[in-house]
Amino acid sequence: MKILVTVSEVATVEDAFEIDGTTIADQYLGADLNEWDDYAVEEAVQLQEADLADEVVTVTIGPEDADQTIRQALAKGADRALRVWDDDLADVGLLDPGTKADLLAAVVDDEQPDLVLSGVQTGDDSFGATGVALADRVGYQWAAVVNHLEHEFADDTASVRRELEGGVEELTDVDLPAVLTIQTGINEPRYASLRGIRQAQRKPLEVQTLDDLGIEGVDSALALTEMYEPESETDVTVWEGGADDTAGDLASLLREKGVAQ
Amino acid sequence: MEFGLTDEQRQIREEITRFAENEIVPVAEEHDVEESYPHDVVDAAAEMGLTGAYIPMEYGGAGYSILDTAIITEELFAYDPGIALCIVSTSFGCEAIMNFGTDDQKERFLEPVALGEKISGAAISEPDTGSDVSSVSTRAEKDGDEWVINGNKMWITNGTVGDFFVVLCETNPDAEGRYNGFSQIVVESDRDGFSAEKITGKLGIRASDTAELVFDDVRVPEENLIGTKDAAFMQQMQFFDETRTAVAAQGVGIAKGATRAALEYAQDREQFGQSISEFQAIQHKLAEMATNTEAARNLTYKSAWNVDQGEDITKLASMAKEYASRIAVDVADEAVQIHGGAGYVNDFPVERFYRDAKITQIYEGTSEIQKNIIAREMLGKGF
Repeated sequence: MKILVTVSEVATVEDAFEIDGTTIADQYLGADLNEWDDYAVEEAVQLQEADLADEVVTVTIGPEDADQTIRQALAKGADRALRVWDDDLADVGLLDPGTKADLLAAVVDDEQPDLVLSGVQTGDDSFGATGVALADRVGYQWAAVVNHLEHEFADDTASVRRELEGGVEELTDVDLPAVLTIQTGINEPRYASLRGIRQAQRKPLEVQTLDDLGIEGVDSALALTEMYEPESETDVTVWEGGADDTAGDLASLLREKGVAQ
Repeated sequence: MEFGLTDEQRQIREEITRFAENEIVPVAEEHDVEESYPHDVVDAAAEMGLTGAYIPMEYGGAGYSILDTAIITEELFAYDPGIALCIVSTSFGCEAIMNFGTDDQKERFLEPVALGEKISGAAISEPDTGSDVSSVSTRAEKDGDEWVINGNKMWITNGTVGDFFVVLCETNPDAEGRYNGFSQIVVESDRDGFSAEKITGKLGIRASDTAELVFDDVRVPEENLIGTKDAAFMQQMQFFDETRTAVAAQGVGIAKGATRAALEYAQDREQFGQSISEFQAIQHKLAEMATNTEAARNLTYKSAWNVDQGEDITKLASMAKEYASRIAVDVADEAVQIHGGAGYVNDFPVERFYRDAKITQIYEGTSEIQKNIIAREMLGKGF
């Protein structure tokens, strides 16, 4: 079985920062492997360690700067990496999930993976739509917000548990090939080992342009028009005393706030 | 001349930052207060391959250079020197096995250390043997095909948690010359007659295990002798450049951690209606701390790089060790000063850095010994 993991590099920001128009100045920004994708990589590597997968390939849409983040996924155990980039993409700015899905679909056509693992969402743009859009483009079955995957694929079926709204979970089977969007907590991502980091420097990282993928021009349906910090407010109630005296007050408050019924 | 780090080195540093923030920082104060060895953290570090990073790939290590190892050491010590020492010391003594051991010894001893299954230690100091290493009195006598060892070792890192120790023993009291007649012999801690007593009440690096070892007719097979009999000093001297550079990296790490903590506190703390980082007195302290740390780092990296090139750099390694350890103490001192009263209690990590820094001026050759060496090299070989 071949697994393709979609890996994004996300922007991280310092606790204190300044917004200038629709950007944050470089000095406040960092970059990291998207948290959800870290879990997706771990799941794929575990499947490989269990001899259920033969190859784990990562794919990233991003400029050369993203290579370090891609190497992080390779250091954790992925076999090779693809990076899709083109000057045309740099000109577009904010890519919408549909456009990303088009690019990734071309990669899926080339690679023909049995399983595509994608993070539920990215930590910066938080669209949460790319994985499912990709499944639609390539005609794969899909399951979103997967928080458990059985490590056996009887009759080419993936048995998954997925999160629904309101704390409800669903157990379902998905025929392969499939796209699963992976939720945090499905496993415990490892640290890249020193040996892994060393080996990752020598693993293949191939760059593909739009031409290579047979895509002519890209356009995004989205444009970033404004950036602001949402107002936040805190409301803290503290009760002094033991549980016997205060539990009732807490219960009333939770009911009042609509958290408990 | 190239001053940049490679992508790989940057990646190591970032991964260690993630590891340290998640695994070390939350438990650092607890292990310091309780003087307890952080077994769980060391196990997690072993899984990541941080233990025995310099052990070659063929023996299960990562095969990292001295410069890579210095970067790892610096980064770990910037978060908590006590726990960091526990991690980097799991392979103490192994450098002798790596360089002078037989293939069989490397397989027996290096591999389990690299894989995190065993912890090693180096046993040199004795109750009456500190800077004057040639006064070692622990005796190893040959009896058939075994060595019989008697004596005491003092201040031994990993003493009560280690699985084996590379012990400096006198094997030929009649040898001519004060540096001849000593050998390095591996003693496993489960041998009859071996005992270790933990030393408590340390000023700093309290998570790290320190003990007195007692050898009472301990018998080990003759194949536990590392390298050449009676030539331990010649063997050991070859690692001084490495081990002193490693302590220099510890000092750089402590200075970095203390500076980072002070910078953060200075920006948060308000007095007289403004952040204390607005005051020039504080700004100048921070500027000097950062500058001195950078100078110590460059001296240390240069020393490490030269060791990797196979250069004999006695003077440079001593300079790096002496300077970086002094900067660690000075910077930690200023970091406490910037914290004021808050820095005098263990609500903030600078109190720990202040106590932890001091050891770097004492172990692996005191600052005074380092200066003696630097001066001796200058007087002997010229400037």
